Amino acid sequence: MGSVKTLNPNADVMGRHAATFMCVNAAKGLHEVMKTNFGPKGTIKMLVGGAGDIKLTKDGNVLLREMQIQNPTAVMIARTAVAQDDVTGDGTTSIVLLIGEMMKQAERYLQEGSHPRVIVEGFDIAKKALLEFLDDFKTPVDASDREMLRCVSRTSLSTKLAPHLVEQLTDIVTDAVLTIKQPEQPLDLYMVEIMHMRHKLDQDTRLVKGLVLDHGSRHPDMPKRVEDAFILTANISLEYEKAEVNAGFFYSSAEQREALVAAERAYTDERCRRVIELKKQVCGDSGRGFVLINQKGIDPLCLDMLAKEGILALRRAKKRNMERLTLACGGFAINSVEELSPDCLGHAGAVYEHVLGEEKYTFVEDVKHPHSCTILIKGPNDHTIAQIKDAVRDGLRAVKNVIDDKAVVLGAGAFEIAAAAHLRSTVKKQAQGRAKLGVEAFAEALLGFVKVLAENSGYDAQDVLIKLQEEQERGSNVGLDIATGEALDPQVAGIYDNYIVKRQIILSAPVIASQLLLVDEVMRAGINMRGK
Amino acid sequence: MAMGMPYGLQAMLKEGHKHFSGVEEAVMKNIEACKALAQMTKTSLGPNGMNKMVINHLEKLFVTSDASTIVTEMDVYHPAAKLLVMAAKAQAGEVGDATNLVLTLAGELLGNAEVLLRDGLHTSEIAEGYQRASDKALSVLESLVLPGTDTLDVKDKAAVALRLRGAISSKQLGYEDLLAPLIAEACIDVVPSNPHNFNVDNVRIVKIMGGALPDSQVVKGMVLKRDAEGSVKCVENAKVVVYAQGVDTSGPETKGTVLIKSAEELEGYSRSEEEKLEQYVKAIADSGAKVIVSGGAIGEMAMHFIEKYGLLALRIPSKFDMRRFCRATGAVAIVKLQAPQPDELGFAKQIEVREIEVREVGGANCVVLQQDASLGSVATLVLRGSTEGFLDDVERAVDDGINAYKALCRDARCVPAGGASEIEMARQVADFGKKQTGLDQYAIARFAEALEVVPRTIAENSGLQASEVLARLYAAHAQGQVNAGVCIESGAPKDLAAEGIMDVYAAKWWAVRLATDAVVTVLKVDQIIMAKQAGGPKPRAGDGDDD
Repeated sequence: MGSVKTLNPNADVMGRHAATFMCVNAAKGLHEVMKTNFGPKGTIKMLVGGAGDIKLTKDGNVLLREMQIQNPTAVMIARTAVAQDDVTGDGTTSIVLLIGEMMKQAERYLQEGSHPRVIVEGFDIAKKALLEFLDDFKTPVDASDREMLRCVSRTSLSTKLAPHLVEQLTDIVTDAVLTIKQPEQPLDLYMVEIMHMRHKLDQDTRLVKGLVLDHGSRHPDMPKRVEDAFILTANISLEYEKAEVNAGFFYSSAEQREALVAAERAYTDERCRRVIELKKQVCGDSGRGFVLINQKGIDPLCLDMLAKEGILALRRAKKRNMERLTLACGGFAINSVEELSPDCLGHAGAVYEHVLGEEKYTFVEDVKHPHSCTILIKGPNDHTIAQIKDAVRDGLRAVKNVIDDKAVVLGAGAFEIAAAAHLRSTVKKQAQGRAKLGVEAFAEALLGFVKVLAENSGYDAQDVLIKLQEEQERGSNVGLDIATGEALDPQVAGIYDNYIVKRQIILSAPVIASQLLLVDEVMRAGINMRGK
Repeated sequence: MAMGMPYGLQAMLKEGHKHFSGVEEAVMKNIEACKALAQMTKTSLGPNGMNKMVINHLEKLFVTSDASTIVTEMDVYHPAAKLLVMAAKAQAGEVGDATNLVLTLAGELLGNAEVLLRDGLHTSEIAEGYQRASDKALSVLESLVLPGTDTLDVKDKAAVALRLRGAISSKQLGYEDLLAPLIAEACIDVVPSNPHNFNVDNVRIVKIMGGALPDSQVVKGMVLKRDAEGSVKCVENAKVVVYAQGVDTSGPETKGTVLIKSAEELEGYSRSEEEKLEQYVKAIADSGAKVIVSGGAIGEMAMHFIEKYGLLALRIPSKFDMRRFCRATGAVAIVKLQAPQPDELGFAKQIEVREIEVREVGGANCVVLQQDASLGSVATLVLRGSTEGFLDDVERAVDDGINAYKALCRDARCVPAGGASEIEMARQVADFGKKQTGLDQYAIARFAEALEVVPRTIAENSGLQASEVLARLYAAHAQGQVNAGVCIESGAPKDLAAEGIMDVYAAKWWAVRLATDAVVTVLKVDQIIMAKQAGGPKPRAGDGDDD
């Protein structure tokens, strides 16, 4: 290790033992932090930001993102977890726990003198075997089975929220995904708008089959509520736009100036009039409403003209909402007044404005065949809202995963117990020589999940584990009942996890653990040695 | 970072991070901070609550007993205490009253949780017990609703004033007889036919220094703290035209240049400008309007013609005030300077402003727009008082009163006041707890105990023997006098509802709910990770009060 010092006297070097020790400890440290969050009975962590802002979370992903971690090994693990979230939307805590457990188990053998390479080989064999085992173990499902989707979303949500909210959100999340699901098309979760209002209690969160926009009309005389309305989604500018070239007027009397002012307006007014004409054409005297939702601006003069016709007009709508609007209400967005025709109009049963203090919200509801919807999150304060928002995001992903995978995996620790037994009984026998050690370590690491689950629910980890293993040896699939500490059949309880989540964990955790184990020297010899 | 042997979480985080975990370190510390906060606001609870003097970061002085103002201006930093403050703010947003109850109750609940934790209970058991106890308490609260209060004629001034007294007396004791009828009058003036749609924004408050509080009055219409622009100061039965933009010559959006070749042309140009403007103002005058209201500047030349035609000109720079003015007069804001066309607009015709005058009020000129009872939908409470601080405090009390009226419009149900509801809730929740088998019965019992804080504090703040008062109250309740509350004069149990002192059911409901939610959240946190405080701009030194 002295060699680096000769090359660069400023270098910071850690030898083999110290390096392994650091990696193992960092993994264990992170494991220690995250384990209390795991499972439905996990506790909440409070994160206080630099500006004193509060965040409460149980979600591993949020925690890793918000905690500013500096230790290089911990950063590596955290990145894997973030990647896990990107791919599957869930299982971030699990992956950190698995890596931690694997390092812990490996440490035992390392201390007894085994070479890291031996253990890594075992990990690799175990990983391949597990992937095959997972494919046998999974339960194929029909993606349109609502009850199954509910089970999966409930399992995902219950690890992130309080129980009383879980039941309610389960239905909301499942229905939201089913609403936007269109046959033969890939699912686009962006078509579910997530809107929040700081109002009332968290139990008032609901699913709006339609759209909620976080702005209102900008004219006091526009109707606050229209029913049975035509919806025109447009991207036309209804305000005066300056010429791109540098233009100027010359005039020599007030009349001339007036004429110029009028000419300036004429173009914009004309476009506005076209919209009004369309309204008159489709609505006539029927008393039906007309709503214009424009992505570009509408200036006060045009707003005034529209208001006089009883048109509810919203300006500067978000681009993503334009897409959702046409999916929710039907019709299509137009880009120029020439395209205006009754065919491009959508329809909604009710459009109304809701004012909360200074904030205005517009609800577009009662649409006929929505392919887009809004989850309206309510809560008395920001941290509650943020917590629900993160959970809803993960819940949506979980449901989507089932639809994509067409398969689920039994939850509540059932997979881990079965997998560990499989590794020990079959794989270990097939493995040659010292690689058996790695397989054994992997098997033991998998059981770590069950232990943490039991610990967080207030039961003795060893006790529970033995009980479950005994049950499993009798040949049934068992999970842990967190309410009683006894064995339960996850199939009966409806606890299912995502296939892709498990698969991703098995794929990436051994890779990162192996990499960390194979580190034999840590050097800091870059040019940018901060503070030194 | 030292490349030594990092272990634990602390070593992994960026420098400057603080990290607390476990019951001792995190939960207990949180409880302590919350208790400290509640201790502070507690003495302000109830009609005899004490005032606090708070100087905020801008060195502005507040003298108030309104809990939401105290905690907002105090700038609480401790994260757990902040959760309570947020609960109080949510309460202020939902009902606008009983914020102190949220803080005091939450503080008491947490204090009791500490005892339970020391006894060896787990936080999740306490949280569960509290949750169940609060559900029970809320169902008891519903049964306590005073019969006959669920329907209220929100247009009956006397009845409304009676209901509002409770909200006012907890903020401004001694003035409730004066303020409650005023608020009632103002609110009733503007309440729409469907009381559900009552808008708080329609009752304005204008504070004018000088005089005394009894000089306060309600003006049907609006009071603007500014002078009319021209020399015409008083108009009666006039039509009003409102321009959203300024009243002046209009220019094109594109830059214009006046092209003049000779002196005659220059003269001609100015004349044409004048003629044009006169034409406009004349058209306005011809339409019958006598008042011009402008959202922007009124040009000098325009002013000249306005004077010439004897119109009253008024500037309202605030967009919101402008909307209210439109609502009050029924006018429609015109976006372009053009003659109000009666057939097209048609709105200006129906307005009949009975009296617009500029009155000398308290040394400051105010435009008073007085409307008939049948017209308009804005009422203004003109508050008078000797100091700014006092007026601010009264304003907050009035705000609470208006919010209470809004709550009444939605849900008129009332519950007994003076700690009567709390004692009854405590009694029944305690009974409920005794029937439970699990460990959460201890938590339920403590929840009941925490509810006692209200009558206890009311008694303490009134200088009475709290324990004695409480014992007598319990005795009265056990005998079935469920409406008996603390009489702050004698300390004896008394049915305050008979005297017309009642609390709004909705406010109590939300307070218990939000306090429990906040407490449960605080209890469930077992780990706090605090980032290094960001170095934002320092608060301005010196007397930064620029109001």
